[in-house]
This record gives sequence, structure tokens and C-alpha cells, in this order.
Amino acid sequence: MKVLVPVKRVIDYNVKVRVKADGSGVDLANVKMSMNPFDEIAVEEAIRLKEKGLATEVVVVSIGVKQAQETLRNALAMGADRAILIEATADVHQDIEPLAVAKLLAAVVKEEGPGLVLCGKQAIDNDLNATGQMLAALLGWAQGTFVSEVALDGDAAKVTREVDGGLQQISVKLPAVLTVDLRLNEPRYASLPNIMKAKAKPLATKTPADYGVDVSPRLTVIKTAEPAGRKAGVKVGSVDELIAKLKDEAGVI
Amino acid sequence: MTPSPLLADLRSLTTAALPEVAALSDQGRTALRDLVSSGGKVSNAAMETHQFAAHALSWLATYVQALQQLDAWAGRLETAGQFSEIEALILQIGFGEYLAQIAGGIPMSQGETARLSDLGLSWAPGTAAQALIAGGNTAAARARLVALMRDNHGRATFGATGLDEELEMIRDQFRRYADEKVIPVAHDWHLKDELIPMQVIGELAEMGVFGLTIPEEFGGFGLSKASMVVVSEELSRGYIGVGSLGTRSEIAAELILCGGTPEQKAKWLPGLASGEILPTAVFTEPNTGSDLGSLRTRAVRTEDGWEITGNKTWITHAARTHVMTLLARTDPDTTDYRGLSMFLAEKTPGTDDAPFPTPGMTGGEIEVLGYRGMKEYELAFDGFKVGADNLLGGQPGQGFKQLMQTFESARIQTAARAIGVAQSALETGLQYAEDRKQFGKSLVEFPRVAGKLAMMAVEIMIARQLTYFSAWQKDHDKRCDLEAGMAKLLGARVAWAAADNALQIHGGNGFALEYRISRILCDARILNIFEGAAEIQAQVIARRLLD
Repeated sequence: MKVLVPVKRVIDYNVKVRVKADGSGVDLANVKMSMNPFDEIAVEEAIRLKEKGLATEVVVVSIGVKQAQETLRNALAMGADRAILIEATADVHQDIEPLAVAKLLAAVVKEEGPGLVLCGKQAIDNDLNATGQMLAALLGWAQGTFVSEVALDGDAAKVTREVDGGLQQISVKLPAVLTVDLRLNEPRYASLPNIMKAKAKPLATKTPADYGVDVSPRLTVIKTAEPAGRKAGVKVGSVDELIAKLKDEAGVI
Repeated sequence: MTPSPLLADLRSLTTAALPEVAALSDQGRTALRDLVSSGGKVSNAAMETHQFAAHALSWLATYVQALQQLDAWAGRLETAGQFSEIEALILQIGFGEYLAQIAGGIPMSQGETARLSDLGLSWAPGTAAQALIAGGNTAAARARLVALMRDNHGRATFGATGLDEELEMIRDQFRRYADEKVIPVAHDWHLKDELIPMQVIGELAEMGVFGLTIPEEFGGFGLSKASMVVVSEELSRGYIGVGSLGTRSEIAAELILCGGTPEQKAKWLPGLASGEILPTAVFTEPNTGSDLGSLRTRAVRTEDGWEITGNKTWITHAARTHVMTLLARTDPDTTDYRGLSMFLAEKTPGTDDAPFPTPGMTGGEIEVLGYRGMKEYELAFDGFKVGADNLLGGQPGQGFKQLMQTFESARIQTAARAIGVAQSALETGLQYAEDRKQFGKSLVEFPRVAGKLAMMAVEIMIARQLTYFSAWQKDHDKRCDLEAGMAKLLGARVAWAAADNALQIHGGNGFALEYRISRILCDARILNIFEGAAEIQAQVIARRLLD
């Protein structure tokens, strides 16, 4: 069984995100970028499936700018076998929307024929949490979201989902799309020999046109703003004053 | 808008200033040769008499080489389209400061200054050098550099390193490992004076640390010295002890690769590469440190091998290791380096309860200020048995020469460790300076605090480029003992200055053991001592410059 893992190049989680002066988005010029941490977990899980003999090949795919090549090389260094880069834009500030990404991935799935697609549950840049679900819908496949445990069982996958208030166990029929959550695994560090090997692994470059998909935006970002800063507190003179303020000003009691 | 503190034509100024200081260094070389030669030969006695002159030349030449490499780095970045404002400021401040020091005096240590007058030289800087001295390291330039450093967007280094993508990928992996698995716990290991857990050694072995530069045919990965430098830098940034775990494996592998028989290579290298065999280096003796040629531990030939008798000291990681690269005298009629041989002496790894279970050897721990994590020991050998096959190369009397061959690699690796320690001091100092508020603002807003951080970033990049250059030379089979020695000499001073200044930024808190910077200071202190103390290093560089 082949496993397909989509990976997104996002702003590194260590970077203090800064909004562009004109409010049109987040400033990404000259900023350290990395693989979306949830996608890293998906790559790790796919490699573990292969190491257990449950998967035959791990193919990673990224959609975005040319520089996403580095992100793919990282996945290859972790142990993925092959990479596909779909160059959808030359502008680092253009985010390809989930529906366009899902359509492209659906086309890749048709071409590659994987038995399982493992995605991060969401990308840490826009937090949309939509691509995996859309992909499953487009393919007409089963889906399991927020997955914290996976066990393949014949033509089904037993997965544990992190839901509000607890864990839910379900069985999904393969082929399926699974979107993975934080607690699924701890991604490995790429070893030196594997970093060296990554160079020689195949990386195919495509464009959306190759798949006949239109990636032009359908959504409009009206405004991006920094979260409001914390306001200074006030000192109160007495308990009565505190109660009065909580009642009248804060309206919490 | 405030005017940019960058000099117009910075790149042409730096390039123009180089030939002038290179000529100055050549004049120094001639001056020293005249001072210390008799009958066309360099006299060792005269080299001692004129040690200040000799070391002034070493430092001058080190600065010139460092500036050449900094300029070359800027040129490479420019070609690659990566030479942005932060790199330009590092270049400008670096040139401004180092040229000013060449003119006015180079600090060899806090209390000792190398001056051109020590060599009987004087220097009237030309136009380019004058412009850089006057306008290079200005308060405005330092302030702007620190503003950019505060806004570094999660990048590993302040300023692009100029290394290729693959090396930077290696850096990222080891940096992440250090951030997640080393930094949160290293201070505790230090305070409790504990050995680094075997789990860490296992994880590093899996990542390939111990077989890094060992050729693939012997179970290693055949990677470059440049990659060894990047790995050492990032692990030492986490903790010097972790960055030094590979040092002894590197030395042992180099010894065996350069001097071992085919059988010895086949026997030892795969285990060293996988980390299953941990080696320790047993050279120093109670009365023999820098003057290694005079060591007294004896190895006597027996029917089935050798018997070692004598005392060794400052043996890092002695207890937990499987094999000792041990230097001993096999020819009792000699008193210098000629009668020394290197052994691959096997031992049983010890435990906390029985650190030295192998018959014929005993040992005791030496408690130390910093550089803990592997522990230091003194060892006593009394009829310790070594097999006949374990004489390196199979021929006695080659030990000193064999050891010399490892010096280039060991010095490059030590320079890399120094850069890692300095980087950790800088990051720790910057973080504290941003968090700590006095007089209503962050410490980093004060010029004297920011200025310290700016100079750390500049000097780290200078030492880094000198180290990368040495590694590049080594990777291209060029002799680099001189450059590697310079990188180690400068790197150690830079690390100590960075640690000391970062502690200063912490004020009283830095003096508290609780704060990480107190450990970084202790760790930084060893760098000027081991792998060639600063004074010996300067002496060796001077001697080599006169060859």
C-alpha cells in the first residue's frame, strides 16, 4: 500500500508572527519557514507504517512556492521515498486555498493510487482545518479527523479521534483520508546518513495546469490584525469596590 | 528616517583594506625572523626570549586571516544574493573593530595586549582602513545590528552562514535536538555533576554523530569536516559536554585512519562509527601537559603484548569508555617524542560503583568548574596489559607523529565547540536583556548592553568563518594546521568574552548557580585551556609562520 502525505511550508513555529503594515496579511519576507508541525507528524506516521511493513512507499507532496522544495527534502530526509512539488505560485504571500489544494491532491491521488492519505489536521499558519475533509469529499473516501492513534486492520483503519471531552474510536474503510493530531507520535530527527540520501531521492516538479486545476483565489482577506495587547489592570481600594466593578463594569456577576 | 549607519562602498573598503594588513603581517614575519634566527635557523631559546613578539605576530596573522575570511564570506553571500543589512553590519563592525585593534593593540587575554611595537612595527592606516576604523564600529551601527538581531525571525544564526542547504538542514536537525533534548536538562546535569545519560549517547549515535567523518567502507558516513563543524556547533550550543561526546571518537578514528594497520581499521572503525565503542584519549600526565614529548608512562614488551605502567591525568570520559588511545614510552632510552608509541588499550566500561574494573588500572575523579557531563579522571596504570595487536600501526616509536596528524581535526572541532558555546552565551544574554526591565525599559535598550551583544554576534561570525575555512581546507586535502590553530585560538577567546559579557548582562542573577549563564561561563573557561592552551597555540602558530 502506498501512503500519500501532503506537507505545507509554513512560518516556523518559533517565529513571532508580524502583520504587514497594510493589514493585507502576515509578513513572510525573509522569515524562517518550516514544515507544518502536524504534517511532520503525518510524515512520521507514514514512515512508521512503512517500517512496520504495512506500507510499501511514502510519497510526499507540497503545493505552493518553489522553496517548498526544502520542506520536501526535509520529509525525504526523515525517510519518505519520493516527492512531488506542485508550483502553484511564485509569491510567498499567496496562500493556496484549501479547495484548490484538495482538488490538486485529488488529482495526485488518482495518478498515484495510494491506499491512505495522511494529512496534518490543519496548517499552523491559517488554521483552516479544511483540506483533509474536502479531499475525502472530493474522492468519496472515508475520513478520520483529529487522529491520535492509528492501527491498520485489513481493509480498514482503527483510529482514535480526539474529540471534545474525550477519545472516540472508529473504524474507517480504506482507502481513507486521515488528518492527524498532535499526540499521534513524536517525529524523529533526520539522521546524517538520511540527510545525505535525501539529495538523491526523486523530486518531481509539476504545475496546477498539469492537473487541470484552477488555483485562483475564491476567498478575500478583508483585514489581518494583531491580537489586542493586554490592557493594564487597576488597583481597587476595598472588597466592596471590587464587587461593584465586577458587577457594573465587567458585568460578570 | 535616521540615516543608515552603513558606510557607502563598504565592500570595496573592506576588500581594499586587506592587502595593507596582509603586508603588515608579512613585515611582522620578517621582523620576528630577524629577532629569533641565528645562522639562518630559528632558535627555540630566542623564540622564548621574544615570546611577546612571537605571539604578537600570531595574533596579528590570526586577525588578518580572520578578516580575509570575513571578506570572502561577504563576497560569497553577495554573489548568492544573500548579503543583507545584518551581514553588512557584521562585516562593517568586524572590520572597524579588528583594524582598530591591529593599530592599537590586540587583546590576547584580559591583561595582555599584542602590539605592533612588540615586533618593532608601526602602521599608518591607508584611506580604506582609516575609513573603516573611523566609521565601522560606531554606536549607531551596533544599535542597528542589535535591532536586527532582536528581529531574527527564528533563524539559527545572526546573519547567514554562507553554508549550503544541506549543511543548514543538518544544522536545523541538531539545533532542534539540542533545543528539545539537551537545553532543558543540561543545567541539571551540570549542577548535580552527572554523566550525560546513555540515552543521549544512543540517540546521537542513531543520528550518526560518531561515524560522521569515518569513510563508508568502515561503517561511517564519509561526511565532510564542514558537517562535523556544524554538528559540533549546534550540540555545543546545547551543552559543551554533548558537543564534546564526538571529540574522542573523532580523535580515535583519525588516529586509526592515519596510522592504523588494515586489520586495526577493520576491527575498530565500525564500532567507533556506530557509537558502540566509546573511546577516551589518554595522553596527558601529571608532569606532562603541553610538553607532551617528555611523558614518562612506560610500555614494556612482554611475550604476549605490552605492559603499561605510569600515571595519566585529565582523562575525559575515562570510566564509561571501552578503549583508550594511550600514548606511552616504548623506548626507555629516549626522553623526547621519538620513543613514544600509541596503543589502542582495551578496557571494561565502568559503573558508578566500580568505575575502573579492569585489572592493572585505577582512577579517581577530578572535580571541575565546568565541562562536566563526561567527568575528568586521573588514572594509574600498574602492569596494565595491552595485546600485541593493539600497538597502533604495529611499529613502535610512531606515537607522537600519529598524534600530530589528528591535531588539525581536533582543533577544527574545538573551534566549532567554542562557537557553539559563544552562541549559547549570546542567545542567553539577549533573552535576558529583553526580558529584564530596569528604569522602565528592557536592558537591551541600554547602549552598553546592546553593544556587548552586537560584538558577540560579530566576533562569533568572524570565528565561525575562520573555522569553516579551516574545515574547507581539510575537506580539500590542503594543509590547515595553521588556520585550524588560529580558529581555535580566536574561537576560545571569543567564547570566553561572550560568556563573561552575557553573565555581566545578568548582573547578580548571573552569579547565581540557578541561572544557566553561570554554567556557560564555567564551560567557556576550558576552551582556552584544552586542545592547546592559548599560549602554546600562539607559540605553535608563530613557529609555523616562520617555516
